[in-house]
Amino acid sequence: MEVLKSGLGEALLQDVDDVRAWMRDNKSRALVDKRMDEHEAVERFVHDGDYLSYDLSSMVRGPMSLEREIIRQGKKDLWVAAKFTLLDTTILVAGGCVSKIDVGFVGLGRTLFSAIEQGEVETVEWSNGTLALRHLAGAMGVPFLPTRALLGTDTFKHSGARVVEDPFTGKKVCLVPAVNPDAAIIHVNQCDIYGNARIFGPSISPLETAMASKRVILSTEEIIDTEQIKRNPGKTTIPYYLVDAVVLAPFGAHPGTVPGLYAYDTENLDEFFSATDAEAMQRYLDKYVYGVSSHMEYLELIGIEKLMQLKEAERIREGYYQ
Amino acid sequence: MNTKPNYTDVELMICLAARSIEDNRTVFIGYGMPQLAAILAQRLYAPNIIQVYEYGAIGPEVATPFRRNMMADARNSYRAMAWTTMNPIIAMASAGLIDYGILGAAQLDPYGNINSTLLGHDYHRPQLRFTGSGGGNEVASLCWRTVVIMRHQKRKFVKKVDFMTSPGYLDGSPGARERAGLPRGSGPYWVITSMGLFDFDQETRRMRLIGLAPGVTSEGVLENMGFEPLVADELKELEPPRLEELELLREEIDPDRVIIGRV
Repeated sequence: MEVLKSGLGEALLQDVDDVRAWMRDNKSRALVDKRMDEHEAVERFVHDGDYLSYDLSSMVRGPMSLEREIIRQGKKDLWVAAKFTLLDTTILVAGGCVSKIDVGFVGLGRTLFSAIEQGEVETVEWSNGTLALRHLAGAMGVPFLPTRALLGTDTFKHSGARVVEDPFTGKKVCLVPAVNPDAAIIHVNQCDIYGNARIFGPSISPLETAMASKRVILSTEEIIDTEQIKRNPGKTTIPYYLVDAVVLAPFGAHPGTVPGLYAYDTENLDEFFSATDAEAMQRYLDKYVYGVSSHMEYLELIGIEKLMQLKEAERIREGYYQ
Repeated sequence: MNTKPNYTDVELMICLAARSIEDNRTVFIGYGMPQLAAILAQRLYAPNIIQVYEYGAIGPEVATPFRRNMMADARNSYRAMAWTTMNPIIAMASAGLIDYGILGAAQLDPYGNINSTLLGHDYHRPQLRFTGSGGGNEVASLCWRTVVIMRHQKRKFVKKVDFMTSPGYLDGSPGARERAGLPRGSGPYWVITSMGLFDFDQETRRMRLIGLAPGVTSEGVLENMGFEPLVADELKELEPPRLEELELLREEIDPDRVIIGRV
């Protein structure tokens, strides 16, 4: 198959057989209790230089408690898959953890944009859809998947994709390489101690991301019995053997929302997004990230009254827990 | 005309877009004005449009009031037909099931090519960085018809975009999209601005002014563009926001004026 055009951007590439061997050797099929605190999970499974992926964000069900822990531990040089993000990439960049971003959607705030404009953080262009597709390819154990997006644009030019002639029809088609993140962090509604996890509501690509990633940390609003999982297996989004760590993190998406459970904390979000210079951002991080040693301390800082208000403010329940 | 209109630019654009949405169509919706246009359309003119969101929601009846950054939360996803995930949504667009896509743009060129990535000419050191494609590239590549809504400012309508994030008719040559590998028969359809309405000439693929906002002249439109669009022989006079539309927008849909702003 002849390559007609190549994007200039770098793509993280891995041999599919190496990935298979990793999955054979490192993803235990045994039913092991994987509960641990966020400190241990991040210390063991996220390393400097890792390619990191998270799931649904915008400000919805993002793994914020794990991201704060990544910043507290001073992880460096992460290459982040920014699909559909507003808060997650921004806080990781503000925390000095990121050297490269695969852009689906980057935002929001001056901190992040300045870091790119100053060349402190490198970017490679993709789109939300092609990043999700790269995770699907990684999940399938195939080296790439075709798409009819990206074609003809500068987004393609600055991506790591290729244009080839389809060997069956002769039409041009774009190929995006699989991505197999070193680590994925995913916030879920419920899971058992082994990592059988339920996500309620629409999402980006939680199953693909968990399948593609070498290490998977789940943070969860709630830990439930395996018996509950077995009584309603249709509700399982992620099966346990994909998962390396289960971290109990009620309000783990704060200041974002978990649909059906609690609303956004708009005051806190305003505080974060109004931090337009380095000093203001440092003050935010000092208060909410470095000023606490764990997610439980963070929740104490936010306060029970506020947290109850956020629960109360989420009026819509149907479809999630009902 | 010297009297100040009793509506904002954004309200005008939202109303124009809402009236243009056909009922019983699937519409890929992005954040902000497109969301409000779809909500307004659904409540007044096109009760059976199916809003489709990249984060997996199909056919929600979005709960209002609108909140800033409302995307993918419970209100945005309320009473949908289906909750799925991104890969199936993009697959459906690729397979020809999504009729319209509604997008914003930081810059637009005469062929409807969209920039939402950066300003400047050095990719690695942009003067100003924006969000990038998001789902925009998929929308403009894969939906049958792309509708762009943007405030009418001279600096936004440029001969050549600094960065082509999402494809319009590319260089405008016949069959350019198909030659690049994009789906046959897809592409930009309308551009709705605060000064007028544009479509795209079938032959040249250039933007063509077809309607004028109240109190606006074609000279006024052209003065506010960095390139000269085609101008239709007869220009429609676009109707200003109706009382019913404004009431709904201001009282129910966006009472906090997150998107619509204030007069």
